This record gives sequence, C-alpha cells and structure tokens, in this order.
Amino acid sequence: MNYIVTFFSHFGAIRFKKEWEKAGHPAILMPVPRNLSSSCGTCVRCSVPPLNTPSDEMEQIVKITAEGYQTLYRADNS
Amino acid sequence: MDLKIRTCEVFFKVLYWPYVKNRLQVTESDELRGTLMTSSKKERFLIAGVGALVGIVSVLLVFFGNPANMGFCIACFLRDTAGALGLHQTAAVQYLRPEIIGLILGSFFMALGRKEFAARGGSSPMTRFVLGFFVAIGCLMFLGCPLRMVLRLAGGDGNALWGLAGFVMGILCGIFFLNHGYSLKRTYKQSFPEGTVLPIIEVLLLVLLVTAPALLHFTEAGAGPGGNHAPLLISLCAGLILGALAQRTRLCMVAGIRDFVLFREWTMLLGFAAILVSAFVCNLLASFWNPGFTGQPLSHTDGLWNALGMLLAGFGCVLLGGCPLRQLILSGEGNTDSAVTVLGLLAGGAFAHNFGLASSAGGPTTAGKAAVVIGLAVVCLIACVNTFVPKKQG
Repeated sequence: MNYIVTFFSHFGAIRFKKEWEKAGHPAILMPVPRNLSSSCGTCVRCSVPPLNTPSDEMEQIVKITAEGYQTLYRADNS
Repeated sequence: MDLKIRTCEVFFKVLYWPYVKNRLQVTESDELRGTLMTSSKKERFLIAGVGALVGIVSVLLVFFGNPANMGFCIACFLRDTAGALGLHQTAAVQYLRPEIIGLILGSFFMALGRKEFAARGGSSPMTRFVLGFFVAIGCLMFLGCPLRMVLRLAGGDGNALWGLAGFVMGILCGIFFLNHGYSLKRTYKQSFPEGTVLPIIEVLLLVLLVTAPALLHFTEAGAGPGGNHAPLLISLCAGLILGALAQRTRLCMVAGIRDFVLFREWTMLLGFAAILVSAFVCNLLASFWNPGFTGQPLSHTDGLWNALGMLLAGFGCVLLGGCPLRQLILSGEGNTDSAVTVLGLLAGGAFAHNFGLASSAGGPTTAGKAAVVIGLAVVCLIACVNTFVPKKQG
C-alpha cells in the first residue's frame, strides 16, 4: 500500500476503488493526509498505482517514500 | 418496539448501503487492516490542542465582551458584517466583526508561510453561492453556525441538542448523495492575484474599521448582540491565531462527523470534542455555565425548528465540503469557490434580516420557517441534479 491517489470528488474515489479492486488490486478509501494536501477530501491508498490509466477524476498520484511523497502524476491545470 | 428497531435498521441499511458494502470489503482484507488509521499521534494531539484553544479563546472573547455563548459564530458574525456594510438595516446586529477578518488573514498568512497558498476555483461557483446562502438561512433559524452550536452546548444551552440532532441528520443526508455520485466538478488552477482578492478585501475592511468607522453601521452598546463585542485588537488577534491554526489542522465541524461515518476516522471529531470540553470547563470557571432550555442567551426553545435549521445547515455544508469556518479558512488559502461561498453566507445573513427570516429569542418567524422549507427543497434539488442528472446525460 505504497501509493495514494487523490480525486476531485468523493465519488471519483469510490468509483476508482471499486474498479481497482475488480481489477485485482487491493485499495482502501481514507481522508487525504494533511501532510499531502491542505485540502480535505477522500483519497485511495493502493499497492499498484494506476499510472497507465489515470482518469479525468484523478487529481494526483503519489508514491509514499521514507522522505515523504513523490508525485508520479498530476492532472493538468490542478 | 422490535418492529420499530427493525424498521430503523432497514432504513439505515438502504440509505447507507454503498458505505456499508465498502466497509465489509475493507474488513475482509487483512492486508488493509490497520492502514485505516491515517493520522499520526502528532496530528491528533495538534487537532485536539487547537480544538481546546478554540474553546478557551471563545469563552475569553465572551469574557471580553462578545455575546454569551458566541465567542465565535461565523454565520452570526457574517450577518453582523453585512449589517455594518449596510446590506441589512436591523440595527441590533450591525458590527464589522474583526474575528472574520482575522480568520481569513490568519489562514492566508499561514498558507503563504507554508507554501500552501494555491489559487484555485471554478467548481460550480454559483451553486456554491446558493448553498452558502441557504446554509446561512438554516444557521439563522437555529441562531448559530455549527461552531456556535458546540459553544451553546458547552454553555449549557439544551436547545442546541436539537440543533446537534438536526446537524447530524443533515450530514447523513449529504453523505447519502456523496456515496451516490454527488460532485460539483473539479477545481482549476487560477492566477495568484485571483486567490488574494478576498484577503485583500478583508485588509481594506480592517483599514476602514480602524480609520473611518463613521462610514460603517454599528449597533449601539446595549441595543442588541451587535453592540456586544470584545475590543478590536483582542478580536482580531483571536481570529488571526485561530485562522492560522485552523489552516494548519483543517479544523472543520462537518468533517469530524462526516469522516467518522465514512471512514471511522475520528481525528477531526477529536477537535469537535476538544472545543466542547474546553469551552465547558472554561464556562464553569468563568461562571458562565447555565444549564437548561429556557432563558438561554440568543436562542429559542422551538426544538423542531432548531433541528430543521441545523439539518439544512449540515446538509448544505456537506455538499459544500466544509462548515462555514472551513469556508473562511479555504478562502484564505486561495480557494475562490470558498470565497464565493462566503459571499453566499454574507448574502444569506443580509436576506435573513431584510425579510424577517432570522429567529429571535421569541422563536422562529413564519417567513423563516417557509425559507427553511424552501432551502431544504433547493438543497435537495442541487444534490439530485449534481448526483443523478450528469450520469443520465452521460
């Protein structure tokens, strides 16, 4: 569970979680960690990042490292 | 009795099936267990500390002159500000509250200092204006925002229990729509100056308040809640400090209950509880504790309309993504959607007094009851349109 995906809406997170689990990847919903963003909302923590299939609903994908968060993807103009 | 309990169970299962299903899936996976706890001890300690400070400062503001059980009330203070600017003519509630200026600027400076200031917006601003408007109507039916609801409880005002019940129901209604697809669409990055407009306006209002107060409307001392206020510098400092800390912690009266229901995440709820406990202890120490339902300061005893007012407020706040306090804080860190929401709250406060919608110690008005019913219908419509219609168009 080394990746966090943030979304523009709560439902975007729910939808992604369902689809990602259907694809065989464990995922959980949780509030966006404070040290990742000052915005509050829902994110998904997962062990496989959706790097090949980022949807319009995704704001960013980060990898959790010992040093903090490493941004892997960020939506345009966000 | 059993039938009643069973009916309630079925009702809640239907209402929260997406959530319940999600919880069942999560608990099935051992790998995921334990990762639900997302907040560090430091974060919990911080939010509990900030919550406790909010309670202490709120009682201190009352000690220094703010109305009873109203150290902070975002809806009331925006209503007073609307009065000071001449947007409504109710002489009893007119004062340019420095706490509001302080909260926005405190958040602004904290966000700048931590490099978190980010101008963004474009997520259905007019819908947010309307939601903000009706949240203000709901709050002024109850006579307080969610923060004041907690402060009223801490002061012994039993009527706030009805408000709390309605508030929780409103949040549950909002969560129902969140789980079924509600979204006001994404935000977009905006230019830096765009995000600074509201903080600059607050600076200008502060300059106006200090240098040319004659241009503003003020309630005379003893002529109403607007006439009761702590000294300007104390109010401003209280707002600045709490604005900065609320930006740091994301303190929100709605998020506590929402996150607990959605994720069993109780960090934010800790802030809610800390405000309640610290304000309660401070009220006891200051001899402000006055338990009961009748004779409570700036409140009425109509339980149904106390509950319905806060139901409207809670429902609207979930659809907006945060309570009125959180909207001020977000507007300070560059969120122009929240700035528009603050304008909606301001307009709602002005309308509530121009058209006799706000309650008084005597109880709710007929026009106010009609406005709350209309507000519930409008908020439901907004929720349905932004939950179901886009999918059908799909």
